Amino acid sequence: MPEAVVEINDVSKRFRIYHERNTTLKQSLVARRRGRFEEFWAVRDVSVEIPEGESLGIIGENGSGKSTLLKCVAGILVQDKGTISVRGRLASLLEVGAGFHPDFTGRENVYLNGAILGLPRKYIKSIMDTIVEFAELEQFIDNPVKTYSSGMYTRLGFAIAVNLDPDILVVDEVLAVGDEAFQRRCMERINIMRSEGRTLVFVSHALGSVRAVCDRCIWMDHGVARKIGGVDAVVDAYLAEVNRREEAELDVGEASDVDTSPGRMGVRITAVDLLGADGPAVVLNTGEPLTVSIEYEAPVPLRGARFSVTFLRGDGAPILTVPTDDLETADAALPRQGVVRLSLPGVPFLEGFYRVTVDITEIASGQHYKRLERVRPFRVHSAEHRETGMAVLGHSWELPQVGTGAIRR
Amino acid sequence: MLLELVRRDVKSRYRGSVLGVGWTLLNPLIFMLVYSLVFGKFLKVHYPGGSATVFILSGLLAWTFFSQALIMATGSIVANATLVRKVAFPWMLLSVSSVIAALVNFAISLLLLIPFMLLSHKGVGIPVLAAPVLVAITFALSLGLGLMLAAGNVYLRDLSYLVNLGTLIWFYATPVIYPFTLVSSKFSGHGLEGEAAHAVIYANPMTWVVLGFQDVFVFDRWPQHWHGLGYSAVFSLLSIWLGLRVFRRLRRRFAEEV
Repeated sequence: MPEAVVEINDVSKRFRIYHERNTTLKQSLVARRRGRFEEFWAVRDVSVEIPEGESLGIIGENGSGKSTLLKCVAGILVQDKGTISVRGRLASLLEVGAGFHPDFTGRENVYLNGAILGLPRKYIKSIMDTIVEFAELEQFIDNPVKTYSSGMYTRLGFAIAVNLDPDILVVDEVLAVGDEAFQRRCMERINIMRSEGRTLVFVSHALGSVRAVCDRCIWMDHGVARKIGGVDAVVDAYLAEVNRREEAELDVGEASDVDTSPGRMGVRITAVDLLGADGPAVVLNTGEPLTVSIEYEAPVPLRGARFSVTFLRGDGAPILTVPTDDLETADAALPRQGVVRLSLPGVPFLEGFYRVTVDITEIASGQHYKRLERVRPFRVHSAEHRETGMAVLGHSWELPQVGTGAIRR
Repeated sequence: MLLELVRRDVKSRYRGSVLGVGWTLLNPLIFMLVYSLVFGKFLKVHYPGGSATVFILSGLLAWTFFSQALIMATGSIVANATLVRKVAFPWMLLSVSSVIAALVNFAISLLLLIPFMLLSHKGVGIPVLAAPVLVAITFALSLGLGLMLAAGNVYLRDLSYLVNLGTLIWFYATPVIYPFTLVSSKFSGHGLEGEAAHAVIYANPMTWVVLGFQDVFVFDRWPQHWHGLGYSAVFSLLSIWLGLRVFRRLRRRFAEEV
């Protein structure tokens, strides 16, 4: 086993949360102390060794201490307990383009930023063309960066960082920016660095990238390393926990009983339920089966009624309305009380938060007997899907014959 | 790295202004004219050495260097908050570079002396070799105090206002717009107030530096107050020592507090 290049031993970091912060002199003099504050341990007793050439991911919810731990490793924050030892040249990329000066041109900022990250001017000069090309800014490199779009800004910052040539690279969530194509090139670049045997510490919410890039992973939970191990095992455990928590929240929260008051002609919807493969579904993955069941009651048998279910996105935009077949229901007399079910063999929606709108309509007049809007919130996860957008469709790709030799980039 | 930071500090000062470097010259020029008009012409202060303009200018340039360095250094960490929060590098260089940037401005502003010295038929001889020593003392003093203030300013933002105000007052405790001889003769025998003012001016390390500049540029002679200068030099070195200690101690929490 290769030697550890980063050793984190029982590291804890404490922050102060100020209630009334005395940043002005008057307050300090009056209060004698720098405000009342509570201490808060952002990271508690974390230990991990990173051997040379390993990629370690750090995942966890917001506020779980991931970035704090990373900043301690990068030397920006100083831990209050424990030790961190680093062997080799460490470069950290916690924010792309931190320290850019808006009035300076792209080229001037490359020199400045490179210098701050520890590169000599000569070296930067020699790789200037590579940086400019990587950032795709040939035309704009001599304009002030304040005229750049945020994408251009990011590309330039990242282009500098990937050319830093460190032994250990510490990266915080920077891949979340930039367009798809640029992100992919960054990943490619990171993979090249890995294949060169460099060590990587990587914080991200994009679990897909973590799986793709990292060998091992730490799951941080309220400052504690909840689980450390192989990347797949840790990410799976984390996802399971997130789903569990969300389920609990949605259950207590919005998914309470629906409005069962009678509508037109005394028709009532007594219950709307979402069912998954095994029981009530609040959180599910793309592609899993989903059934919407509607229980109704009417004073007389229902004639000429149409049921429909509309799926809405979290922001309220309707995605899909599925009505019952008029030919089937126009002449039928449905019992005074019953259950209507709509089944999807696989939920097509991608990552997001959804609700349903349910209604019963009189076909002849087009008027609603009863309509329940935006009920039954549910959450869909699609961590395993590469598609982006709103929904998946069955598809297949055909590619030209691929040679057996090495793929040239 | 330091070079790039200085480059940034100097350049960013002039970006977007029409006159650019001209301001470095114009600023002390205007002040000098105002002071020599008010004090020399209206109040009839007698400036030794014959020329009110050269006298005021030589002290004013040194003072401007000092005060600018101090003010810029005080804000140096807070002004670069995004950098300090996100990038680990020797943050002290931010303060050092702002003092060096002030030094560069000072070097440029020295050009102002040339026309006025020519006008009053003055020249400089060998004693000008003492100027680098004077500059070094000023540099060390502003850097030492600047490091303390820069670090303190992260935790207590009032410091930057206090420094602005403080330098304004300190200016009047330094014999820039009045000759030192006026103080040393007049205040003796003026009771407690006179004694106090006397003590303040004598204790002020910048007094001796400014006097040195006046000796070199106005009188074309070696600085006369060696004891005073020695005191200033020791004071500066102590301030650097203390500045480093304070900065090193306070920087642990910079990234959280800035």
